[in-house]
Amino acid sequence: MEGLFVQLLVIGIKILVILGVVLGLGAYLTWVERKVAAHIQRRAGPMVVGWHGLLQPLADGLKLITKEDIFPRTGNRFLYNLALVLALVPAVLVFAVVPFGPEFEFFGVKVKPILTDVNVGLLLVFALGSMAVYAIALAGWASNSKYALIGSMRKAGIIVSYEVVITFAVMGPVILAGTLSTYEIVQQQINQKLWYIWLQPIAFVIYMFAMLAETGRVPFDVQEAEAELVTGFTVEYGGIKFGLFPLVEWYVEVLSLSAIAVVLFLGGWSPINIPFLGFVDPLFFLGPLSPFVWFVLKVALLFLFVLWLHWTLPRYRIDQITETAWKVMLPLTFVNLVLTAVLAPIVWR
Amino acid sequence: MMQWVAFLFFASLTLLSALGVVFLSNIIYVILSLLSTLVMVAGIFFVAGAELVGALQLLIYTVAIAVFYVLVLTAVPWEKALKKDSHYRIEGVLTFPILLAFYLEIILVFLIGVSVSPKGQIREFIQNLGNTQVVGSILFSKYFFAFELVSLVLLVGMIGAVLIGRKEDKTYEDSTS
Repeated sequence: MEGLFVQLLVIGIKILVILGVVLGLGAYLTWVERKVAAHIQRRAGPMVVGWHGLLQPLADGLKLITKEDIFPRTGNRFLYNLALVLALVPAVLVFAVVPFGPEFEFFGVKVKPILTDVNVGLLLVFALGSMAVYAIALAGWASNSKYALIGSMRKAGIIVSYEVVITFAVMGPVILAGTLSTYEIVQQQINQKLWYIWLQPIAFVIYMFAMLAETGRVPFDVQEAEAELVTGFTVEYGGIKFGLFPLVEWYVEVLSLSAIAVVLFLGGWSPINIPFLGFVDPLFFLGPLSPFVWFVLKVALLFLFVLWLHWTLPRYRIDQITETAWKVMLPLTFVNLVLTAVLAPIVWR
Repeated sequence: MMQWVAFLFFASLTLLSALGVVFLSNIIYVILSLLSTLVMVAGIFFVAGAELVGALQLLIYTVAIAVFYVLVLTAVPWEKALKKDSHYRIEGVLTFPILLAFYLEIILVFLIGVSVSPKGQIREFIQNLGNTQVVGSILFSKYFFAFELVSLVLLVGMIGAVLIGRKEDKTYEDSTS
């Protein structure tokens, strides 16, 4: 009985930590994004509220919450609100299968820093990640507005194309690791002394492309396209409801897909890797904390990379985006699969 | 005990949302009920310990297939979506016997399948290997022929889709090239 209680307590604490970190961080990443964007464009960015604008997200949140809740008269209120829930829940659920570090002992209780280590974790990630499309399709339909509908149709087209691509891209690491569990994939990379990016560069690049497309980041943000569609499917939303969609799409989803990229290609919480030889850890002085720091560092690096692209590139047209997916990326993933099949025995030995 | 509670939860929600698919009049609500049915079926798979099948149910049915329904239905104009009277009443009555025959066939196939399926042999298999490996090894040993046959059907379907989707030669002037 005692064991069960401790287990439930551990699960509860994990859920609270994940929710707090993800949603809190999500809000604060708006500040990071504005700062990075400003410095890319040689501006200072938010400076007024707090030291270097550090309190800006709180001010923004207050402003959004206290705004009037406007609703299009001919829309469908139930679906309009349901779309919000459908956007937020799957995006946060993905973090249930993200492993943040190695197993550790805390007051005699063994804790794996992952909510559920399902043996098909990776499939769940992509199933849940792609469910965002329903939120967007519903938001577009329930608003009963042309701009919103066009935006949502575009986004659905993109997700349908890139979901296929991303699933085939991650098959390479899965073959090398021989498992679908996210925790085990990292363990395998540590055992084999190999980050899979060294053998899967094509898959990694394609994964990054597909990640940008699924999260609606530049150069694939045609569903927003503020110049032509005035921010697409969110156009009829107001106040905090308007704020929630970018929060989910641009921050929570980018974070979760970056974390999965780190798990699949960059060896999760392992330090710098020399292929087949071992690991070099310049952060050894942090002791047992170093794996967690490594994980956060890698995710932060990928996130900054996404921001860098976002504020540098122009956007593609919708037909160019889907054509690249089907005609370039998908064949490339097939080539990669064949290459992986040839290379896999070297890794398995 | 916990398993029964979870199973009853998912099963009742499956039934409820399946009823919603039949009885709701707004097509968007219908497709949402269908989605909820598919998700709940995935939940039943998870309760039964078939994680791989559950995840594939989520990935393929609730996302990859249902998204096309949603895509088409969201393009339906509002007036039509909210229409109350139904079309195709006579056709519906006429197809009822055929539908009944299909259901009988499904029940028959299910019963035959249950009678010939291996009992208890897979259990120790699962304990030695993981969920995914078990599905793979059974699929590529016992049901290999059926598996290849199905992939042939899929290939035919794919070729057909390519043929239908192919652009006709010179139906319009391409001004962009």
